[in-house]
Amino acid sequence: MTRSTWTRRGFLGLSAAAAVAGTAACTGTGTAGGTAGGAASGPASNNLRLFTYEDDTTIANLKAAVATFDSRNGTTTRVDSLPGSGAAVYPDKLRAELLGGSGPDIWRIWGGQIGAPFAKAKQAADLAPYYQKYGWDTKINTNAIAGMTFDGMKAGLPIVVAAIGAWYSKESMDKAGVSDTPKSYAELEEMNDKLVAAGITPCTLGGKYGWDVMRLFEYLLEVSAGPDLHDKLLSGEESWDRPEVVTAFTSFKKWQDKKWLPNGVLGLDPSDVETDYVSGKAAYTLTGTWTEAQGIQAAKKSSDDFGTFQLPTDQTPERHSGFVEGYMMSARSGNPDKAAALLDYLVTPDLQATLQITSSTVTGAEPDKSKLPLSYEWTEINKTSPFYTIQDQAFPKKTADQYFAIQSDVLQGKTSPADAAKAMQSAVSAMAKS
Amino acid sequence: MATATALAPATREGAGAGRQNKKRYGGLRPWLFALPALAVYVTFLVYPAGTSLFFSFTNWDGLSPTYDIVGLANYEAMTKDPVVVQALLNNLVWTVVTIVVPVVIGLTLAILLNGKVRGKTPLRLLFYTPCVLPLVSIASIWGWLYNPDYGVINETLRAVGLGSLAQPWLGQDSTALAAVMVPAIWLRVGFPMLLYLAALQGIPAEQYEAATVDGATRSQQLWFITMPSLRPAHYIVLALSLIDSFKVFDMIYAMTYGGPGTATQVMGTWMYANVFQYYQAGYGTAIAVVITVIAVAVSIPYVLSQTKEHS
Repeated sequence: MTRSTWTRRGFLGLSAAAAVAGTAACTGTGTAGGTAGGAASGPASNNLRLFTYEDDTTIANLKAAVATFDSRNGTTTRVDSLPGSGAAVYPDKLRAELLGGSGPDIWRIWGGQIGAPFAKAKQAADLAPYYQKYGWDTKINTNAIAGMTFDGMKAGLPIVVAAIGAWYSKESMDKAGVSDTPKSYAELEEMNDKLVAAGITPCTLGGKYGWDVMRLFEYLLEVSAGPDLHDKLLSGEESWDRPEVVTAFTSFKKWQDKKWLPNGVLGLDPSDVETDYVSGKAAYTLTGTWTEAQGIQAAKKSSDDFGTFQLPTDQTPERHSGFVEGYMMSARSGNPDKAAALLDYLVTPDLQATLQITSSTVTGAEPDKSKLPLSYEWTEINKTSPFYTIQDQAFPKKTADQYFAIQSDVLQGKTSPADAAKAMQSAVSAMAKS
Repeated sequence: MATATALAPATREGAGAGRQNKKRYGGLRPWLFALPALAVYVTFLVYPAGTSLFFSFTNWDGLSPTYDIVGLANYEAMTKDPVVVQALLNNLVWTVVTIVVPVVIGLTLAILLNGKVRGKTPLRLLFYTPCVLPLVSIASIWGWLYNPDYGVINETLRAVGLGSLAQPWLGQDSTALAAVMVPAIWLRVGFPMLLYLAALQGIPAEQYEAATVDGATRSQQLWFITMPSLRPAHYIVLALSLIDSFKVFDMIYAMTYGGPGTATQVMGTWMYANVFQYYQAGYGTAIAVVITVIAVAVSIPYVLSQTKEHS
């Protein structure tokens, strides 16, 4: 009897506790308020906080550089990093921090539609006065500045104009008897066939978060649609329900069916597979110049054993996909002048080199040819080849996710390329209406 | 006077009853003891939950300082959102499977490990260990196990001649949800096992001895002594598992991110996507409210009926 009484009470108590826990978990957005949170530092504070997504290969350099700035300027800057998650997770954490009232004074962020919400919500400061004060307009790549300007407001200071291309292992190519990089899309397909015949997975990508596989699809769309139409599709000026888009989806499916992509590509984590071309599990990947320092050289391998090439589009001009990254400053920073001074310090050419930024927006901060020869090749490519915005920066996240869901259905054979084109048009129309 | 005389005993009785009540319930003192917990409860649960409810009637983007009241528009939009339907179905499947399977396995293990088994202490530890591992680690480990090309699962299938069964487990709609449920089950077995073990050890040995003397078989003892005695433990295990399963988020987020496409979206991940990624906090909080209402609706009748039955 005693036990049953205790059990009932215990049960009710536990149930109540569980209900509390359940309700708390289910209403986890509760700290949100009508007013957005501010930066960690108080008014006129010399305490700054910088939030970034640097990985182990560069975070120590950044912290050392910031410490030097602190010693010269009487500030104390905390540097926090959330590496490895890519654009899928980092903006969520940043947003939660800003709303929670402990947001950073400065944060690194991608341009386009990933950075835009922070500017539109006025979490990011208008940097126009500091552009003028520090002459950033003359120091920084003009196209990159446009990538972090939203509704006319210069909300960010770009530091990276990343170019996406193919990065390959020379050993894998040699094994497959591939003697030269492809100069046309047909040659690229031919190269893939040779690699498969040699038992090598040609292109390593991971579809877990969607964005990595988009690097392939956006390329295929550039091949089939060409620069002008591709741009109009991204901006919603042209309908997606058209033959060029169907062709791109058809090619996309072909890449999987012919095993040019890893088995089960949709479930693979990009961070697990991106460097498979370095370890020899695949021949190449589609990525940017950071892979030379963070992929090849971090694995203690020589750049001489690897190569890179611009994916051939058979179009004029021949473009590659690319994106912008930079820093934003909090509109609620406790010391915006010092924060801006730190930004100016971070975009000095020497420091850009120290931070191993291999595709810097800063004039005079080109990668050292002797240390990063492959990245340097892209500096040359960028001089003649324009870029189009990667699709997960061209679209709001919701549309990009819908886009990826459609791509996923195509790869699984659940949707035909023609239906995928229609579904994509529907998603873009909904985006335009909203 | 008569009135006064008549009232006096009543007043005295009232005063006496008040003193009795005060003595019985302790007056204000219990409330003072409860106050700190109550303050925490109101501050960190009631207030945020109320705020979330309020925002579900707005079009707040989750970042801007301004928003508009949109009434029931977010709830209406949910009825037209195909991902919500898919997420609800996934929640249902997830809840049923991740309650029934771990509870059955946990109960079986508890019964087996409650007997005279050599090495039962390390075995108990072994089965309970997954419960204390960080979820992200578990997700990473199982992600590698599931790797289509060099994961242990497919490698093993190929090694034993069952290569045709090798699948891209997390990379196709048809297997992704089930593939995430397997580690969730592995993770959850220890919890019911532990509770059942504690309950089994509370059953007097004399009952089994008497049953043995009366000629009861092992299965009869299990059915007529063990199972009825475990009823309170069943209540706790099922209620906690039900709530825990319905609010699933972490395992799916870490292993599939709701994909491929939207194949493994559940209400928790879809809420997160809307609030934190799509800048639709109003819509996302409406999903959170619906999750809460469903969890409470499912739990409360069960709790009440079982409590009544037990009383």
